[in-house]
Amino acid sequence: MSIQRTAEFETNVFINCPFDDEFKPLLRILLFVARKVGLQPRIASEKFNSADIRLNKILEIILESKYSIHDLSRNKSKKAKETFRMNMPFELGLDYGVFQFHDDVKYRNKTMLILEDEAYSLKSAISDISFADCKPHKNDAEQLVEEVRNWFVENGFTDIQGPSMIWDEFNEFNAELYNRKTKEGFKSNQVDRLSIPEYLEAINDWLINPL
Amino acid sequence: MARIHIIKRGTGWAVKAEGAKRAKALFPNKDSALKSAQSLRKSGNDIVVHKADGTVQKWEKAKVK
Repeated sequence: MSIQRTAEFETNVFINCPFDDEFKPLLRILLFVARKVGLQPRIASEKFNSADIRLNKILEIILESKYSIHDLSRNKSKKAKETFRMNMPFELGLDYGVFQFHDDVKYRNKTMLILEDEAYSLKSAISDISFADCKPHKNDAEQLVEEVRNWFVENGFTDIQGPSMIWDEFNEFNAELYNRKTKEGFKSNQVDRLSIPEYLEAINDWLINPL
Repeated sequence: MARIHIIKRGTGWAVKAEGAKRAKALFPNKDSALKSAQSLRKSGNDIVVHKADGTVQKWEKAKVK
């Protein structure tokens, strides 16, 4: 492979998930818990530059991230003729390819979490994923906090509060974000639609200065 | 003064003071949690009602005397 980037490899986590409004509440959880354990979330939409080819950006992030979280919870169509989106499984495959086949041995340490809607729901869609942890979140924000937090603990991030305390802090963070942004003139629905870079910046501010 | 939060907790809702380690009380639904928070609060407390995803649904400002 020609792209070789190592900066921040040990502290980056690639987040591969849907970016629509329906999934946004869960994406925010992933960003918050990752920052709580001191990791830097990396996602394809972290900055917008129309000159970037999206797939190249994703490959760059995969090569720069030791950890990855792949949300494959959208593995079922909800209505007739709905197209099943294949980007997430495709990007999981790219990540697995680097883990398995890259010449640099550091990639053998890649650590992946796969999220699904219901427990074992992915087995029928992709039976070849036994190499990674699969955790169900049932599209529930509180449960997602627990699953992701526990996965980080299982992978050595033991200096972190329990799931309920993180969930409560996430709620308190959202209240303070609402407070700060509305004072800056944002409407409440605009606070809900903050861009990912703005939201990450707010998380970073909160972790330094909660109130 | 500390805010009081109404936060989803499992299948129910918790009333929790900002920064406290534990919830004051748990309720089966959001309405009963809010009523309890309104009765518990002192004059300086805001009440923040959260959605199930953790964002803010409603903010009741403290009553100014």
